[in-house]
Amino acid sequence: MIGEHRAVAALRVFLALLFGILVLFQVMSLPGQFAHMAQENPEMAYLRWPATAVTVFWVLCAQVVIVCTWKLLTLVKKDRIFSAASLGWVDAIVWAVAAAWAVLLGVFLFVGFNADDPGLPLLLFLMLTGLTVLGLLMVVMRALLRRATILRTDMEAVI
Amino acid sequence: MPIIVRLDVELARRKMSVGEFAERVGLTPANVAVLKNGRAKAVRFATLDAMCRVLECQPGDLLEWVED
Repeated sequence: MIGEHRAVAALRVFLALLFGILVLFQVMSLPGQFAHMAQENPEMAYLRWPATAVTVFWVLCAQVVIVCTWKLLTLVKKDRIFSAASLGWVDAIVWAVAAAWAVLLGVFLFVGFNADDPGLPLLLFLMLTGLTVLGLLMVVMRALLRRATILRTDMEAVI
Repeated sequence: MPIIVRLDVELARRKMSVGEFAERVGLTPANVAVLKNGRAKAVRFATLDAMCRVLECQPGDLLEWVED
């Protein structure tokens, strides 16, 4: 239990840190980055706002996952993780990953049909596969959580 | 549930109140109520042991099976 408590505390510190870094990227780094890229390559300048919107959206998805993980950690601390309350947050994580995956698929197809070298499409394909694995893993974990919740509920009805 | 807990019969036989029974067995009065009105889904062997000890009876005196 001590190990679990320490891991939860450390995880919360790093989740907060990660969230802060993502906000920094979202408001300061990303818009400037794409403005700079538009200046460097004027023929690609039309991509500036779509690219900004897409990357900010991905960061937003990551932030949703962080907030949901935080909420789930609160439930872990209160020993209420195996209750109906946790399924909603897990659902939100699954939906955030699914939304990011759908947009990534769109970007991958767009870049794939327009690219003249295989580097970027290959990198996007790697990301797409990784995100698929992550999303399906979350679906499996969700099923396990549901099963554990049912078991816990049954056990609590034992007198 | 086709399994009935005959707690009221045994309590009446020993003229024991629900409150005293709950305290001596170590159950909450709420759980005793659940057992008495047949809403219990499962009983631990440890609980059954404590109930039999307090009521000086056998598990068969407390549990009864009836057709649905």
